[in-house]
Amino acid sequence: MESLLQHLDRFSELLAVSRTAHVRTWDPVTVRRALQWARYLRHIHRRFGRHGPIRTALERRLHNQWRQEGGFGRGPVPGLANFQALGHGDVLLSLRLLENQALGDAARHHLVQQLFPGPGVPDADEETLQESLARLARCGSAVHMLRFNGYRKNLNLQEDSLMKTQAELLLERLQEVGKAEAEGPSRFLSRLWERLPQNNFLKVIAVALLQPPLSPRPQEESEPSIHKTPGEGSQALVHWLLGNSEVFAAFCRALPAGLLTLVTSRHPALSPVYLGLLTDWGQRLHYDLQKGIWVGTESQDVPWEELHNRFQSLCQAPPPLKDKVLTALETCKAQDGDFEVPGLSIWTDLLLALRSGAFRKRQVLGLSPGLSSV
Amino acid sequence: MAQDSVDLSCDYQFWMQKLSVWDQASTLETQQDTCVHLARFQEFLRKMYEALKEMDSNTIFERFPTIDQLLAKACWNPFILAYDGFLHCCPDESQKILIWCLCCLINKEPQNSRQSKLNSWVQGVLSHILSALRFDKEVALFTQGLGYAPIDYYPGLLKNMVLSLASELRENHLNGFNTQRRMTPERLASLSRVCVPLITLPDVDPLVEALLVCHGHEPQEILQPEFFEAVNEAILLKKISLPMSAVVCLWLRHLPSLEKAMLHLFEKLISSERNCLRRIECFIKDSLLPQAACHPAIFRVVDEMFRCALLETDGAPEIIATIQVFTQCFLEALEKENKQLRFALKTYFPYTSPSLAMVLLQDPQDVPRGRWLQTLKHISELLREAVEDQTHGSRGGPLESWFLFIRFGGWAEMVAEQLLRSAAEPPAALLWLLAFYYSPRDGRQQRAQTMVQVKAVLGHLLAMSRSSSLSAWDLQTAAGQDTDTDPRAPAQQLIRHLLLHFVLWAPGGHTIARDVVTLVSPWGPASEYSPGMSSPW
Repeated sequence: MESLLQHLDRFSELLAVSRTAHVRTWDPVTVRRALQWARYLRHIHRRFGRHGPIRTALERRLHNQWRQEGGFGRGPVPGLANFQALGHGDVLLSLRLLENQALGDAARHHLVQQLFPGPGVPDADEETLQESLARLARCGSAVHMLRFNGYRKNLNLQEDSLMKTQAELLLERLQEVGKAEAEGPSRFLSRLWERLPQNNFLKVIAVALLQPPLSPRPQEESEPSIHKTPGEGSQALVHWLLGNSEVFAAFCRALPAGLLTLVTSRHPALSPVYLGLLTDWGQRLHYDLQKGIWVGTESQDVPWEELHNRFQSLCQAPPPLKDKVLTALETCKAQDGDFEVPGLSIWTDLLLALRSGAFRKRQVLGLSPGLSSV
Repeated sequence: MAQDSVDLSCDYQFWMQKLSVWDQASTLETQQDTCVHLARFQEFLRKMYEALKEMDSNTIFERFPTIDQLLAKACWNPFILAYDGFLHCCPDESQKILIWCLCCLINKEPQNSRQSKLNSWVQGVLSHILSALRFDKEVALFTQGLGYAPIDYYPGLLKNMVLSLASELRENHLNGFNTQRRMTPERLASLSRVCVPLITLPDVDPLVEALLVCHGHEPQEILQPEFFEAVNEAILLKKISLPMSAVVCLWLRHLPSLEKAMLHLFEKLISSERNCLRRIECFIKDSLLPQAACHPAIFRVVDEMFRCALLETDGAPEIIATIQVFTQCFLEALEKENKQLRFALKTYFPYTSPSLAMVLLQDPQDVPRGRWLQTLKHISELLREAVEDQTHGSRGGPLESWFLFIRFGGWAEMVAEQLLRSAAEPPAALLWLLAFYYSPRDGRQQRAQTMVQVKAVLGHLLAMSRSSSLSAWDLQTAAGQDTDTDPRAPAQQLIRHLLLHFVLWAPGGHTIARDVVTLVSPWGPASEYSPGMSSPW
């Protein structure tokens, strides 16, 4: 067991080095050995994929490594990321070496020979490295062709395939990080927030929060774990959002109203904070008598239309959320003086607008203008 | 060898030009052209590889100075990269052959910096084939930030994209009037084209299925014919597995595919050495045609092709046997179909009288022994009526009825058995049936003659069945068989059939069975003869 773990360590180092200029010193023998190690670990992955204790030990070792390297979010992962990666460590290594122009002539030649030996007898047992690489190339072209010839961005972000894939990856990573250490996810997310393009990140978080909960598949060890329960990952996200008010504010600002409504319906813990934010935004607006509209004082204040939009969307949500929103609005209106006349309290005006909007909607739909539920 | 190399040089020029025009295959025309040439280009690549692997890098460049450009252009064309040569006998995906060709360019021991640079360049191209093709910068940054490499998430991404496209197609199919989310014909055509090199990639199956099944609302066909052809080839070579509904849609939308499937079946039947019924049944069920034929339009095309085959071969017994097996499989499949969605019989057999169709379609085994004679007489009556009544306006006259009759070999069997088992005078109706079965185009006189002949044979056989010992020779003489007459003449076939039946049913017949079979078979020992066939192989 100990030798296995050492092997793991050494291979992780190897993988890390394969990206650097250090490979200049590699000769054909080194290349061959590196590939052999990779093959060995792939074999280990196949054999012990279902074996609980060994797998756990290996994973723990890998997680320790991350922690020592400063954890994820620091940059592209130098070594192996998780147990799954063992299954295609040889591909990872091969690709890194191929990308690395610092490789010497002899080493390069040997590498290419090893990777692409030419037509030959296929291994009945497992897929050869050449097969794996060819398959990757094919998969890549498939993705490329579909992306440029068929794909169209889905306006419902949670159904967009690019968004969904990123969300699935995020949830998977969060789950792993959570297993490694309890506080891991929050720190990890904070680091990502600092490093990654924030707009995209926020969208991915929203989509991740909307992924359907899948039933956990017990023994699907050897397969890519991209479909494990998103439950834990979602929890971590919610927890992090609640703990980081500026992130949450950006989240609520950047994302469209409909999406936020879906997210808050799904995760009720977020609704009080969301409502609180909306109330804050609302209070920053004042009524301009000349123009007859509510305006903000500073440029970054949320304008009336957007505020109205969000409340309207929330009022179309299913019961628990919808009722909470209305109650909140009524409370605010009461606190402001419970006016019925427009122009005095933004909450009155919002409620009026929402009611008339609902009324008009009922008219359009041909429903009787009876007691509106708003 | 020299001729080969000249050919190669010519081809080289041709493909160099093509690749330059195709570039990255981003327009409709270049994509279409690429799809049409994929298989041939792969052949060329293979030939190149065979040539290149014998040479070293310097020689290669002397021979083909622009080889690096050719290969690079090929690598930048995603259609070529995605293709796998499943149509070829030694399938190796295009990517692999391209990669091998590139590997040949590497200098084992570079003498100067130019050669070194070349090596570097090859490495770069290899790397590009395998890992680049990154599109969205944001997605790339995100995945990298999480610590994922393309190999980790490409399969998942492909799956998501395929499922999303498939569901968009389905929605488009169902909500035709919601013009906002409608899929434009160009986009559909584009998608179908993109699928051509990817047909055998299992991840793409849901998309292929959706493209076939969701036909949108345009009056004319939008999907590219190359797409249909590629799917059909993949189905015939068993390189793709699609649900039956998708296969039916394919054949309904693209007639040449259905025809090709039938021809493929015929080829298999012809090329396989000696076919016993079980193997025929296997081939037929394998072809998916019986299940597909539950759709009347497909049934009619299949039927038409069987008829052509029959007419071309002048009613060859092999074809008849195939048709009978097919019909049996078809009826089995029809039985399994959802009762509510079943079509009326008339749609399958529009030119025959319903009463005749009804009678013939019952399973002969369902008829109780006591009612055989009655049923057979009834059939004979109906057929005779249909055949002799030319003025009814039924298409094709006697042949039409014959086509229907021969489909169901069980009845002919029953007639033979009835005639041989009953000691009574053979009824004319039954004799007529047999004569008609084997020779539908006979005139009245000819048929009457045959009936007389058969009656005589039957008489002899019945007499022999009462004798204690039987010999094959006696049987043959009694049947009036001699070596001069053409063994394939209809009357001879008929008599042979009766002989074989006799041997099966007569007490003591099985002792001489082998001898009889040897004697009467026009091909020699038919060791794979199995009872219940209507004609010997």
